Amino acid sequence: MKTLFKDVHEAWLATQFTGFMSQTQNRQDLYEFANILFKHLTWLENDFIKNGQDYDYSINQVPIRVPQLSVMIHNIIERLEKIEKELSSCKDAHITFRMQSDIDYIKAALAKMPDENVEHAFDTKREYPNVPLSDEARDALTIFLFEESYKEYELIMVYNYSKANSNDAFLNRIFQILIDESFFHLRSFGQMMAEMGILGVPRSLMEEIYKFDDLKQFLKDGIQEEIGAKEECKKLAAAVSESSEHFAAFFTFINNQENYHIALMEEALAHINKES
Amino acid sequence: MNADAQLIEHMMNPQNYGEMKPNDAVGMGKNPQNGEKVAIYLKVEAGEDPLIQDISFQAIGCTTTIVAGSIITSEAKGVTFSRAEELISITLGMLDNIPPEDAACSEMVALALKAALDTYHERQKDPDFPMISYKIQTDCTPKEEEQA
Repeated sequence: MKTLFKDVHEAWLATQFTGFMSQTQNRQDLYEFANILFKHLTWLENDFIKNGQDYDYSINQVPIRVPQLSVMIHNIIERLEKIEKELSSCKDAHITFRMQSDIDYIKAALAKMPDENVEHAFDTKREYPNVPLSDEARDALTIFLFEESYKEYELIMVYNYSKANSNDAFLNRIFQILIDESFFHLRSFGQMMAEMGILGVPRSLMEEIYKFDDLKQFLKDGIQEEIGAKEECKKLAAAVSESSEHFAAFFTFINNQENYHIALMEEALAHINKES
Repeated sequence: MNADAQLIEHMMNPQNYGEMKPNDAVGMGKNPQNGEKVAIYLKVEAGEDPLIQDISFQAIGCTTTIVAGSIITSEAKGVTFSRAEELISITLGMLDNIPPEDAACSEMVALALKAALDTYHERQKDPDFPMISYKIQTDCTPKEEEQA
């Protein structure tokens, strides 16, 4: 079942990032399918936990550099077919029935998906449509997007792991909000990376990032990281403000969203302190 | 870090990234300032001057660390230990010429490779020898932050 879990994880990322490279209605469909595959990942994860089995989030690199969307669609279908063959390794028939039903639908929809050219997502031109960028702004934005796309993926997985392994409803509500927020940010940054021709799937997480012993310390560190991210957004908003009002406004918006994340983590910390 | 075309390729598709199981040796480079770390895994062909058959790395760190790991492991793949030692010396010798935040990342990767080579040597004498870990000396605070 560990292979199944890993393959579902990789299929989710392949589908999510294929969505980023699309510039048509395909994008929204791929986002929906990615959501379904992420849900499958959480079902299998809960089955591991229910059965007291150890698991991890290690994955192989997910190559996505293709000229046409159809190449990735074919790749995703192959990944789903491999998953189908591995479903029997999960002994919960309810989970595998639901997964099979979803996969049947996704495969049929993918097979009909119109093709599109996606070379722009990997051309490394680092130009944003209708937005002139200075060299300094271009470099700052490039580094920011690589750093933060990884960070958002990391946060999705960290909060997902924490949520899966906690029975505290109060904390789990906060973890779910933080997961949703990170999904939104990952999508924003992933789309921007594709626009700039620098799309890449984040690297695999080291186990100690999400398997930590001290949630309080993790939250304290997380608050400091969010404060750091706010500063990065401020710097970036300043660096791109001369080039683009649109980007400056976007990064100010992201900066202000970090306040909400900090408030949520402080709320979680206060709850843990009250309980202990 | 200036993002030129070659560096962007390493950011989009880091080479040799991931845990290697099984391996012949692992080494760790750490930045005690911020908790960042790099692990380097080696598959080695034994000999008087052993050969790095395969190499991979994993990191808790920034994009610069990933780029440094991708470049240094690519250079070290398929070379002898003595050539890898030269590569480490060259990398450590260049640190004064690059911004401190970039220097710290490169030093961390170079020390992880050094630790992996040293762990391999120790394991030839004692198979249970634990993984060696080295801490970086470079202060990774950017100059403008120091002055602020």
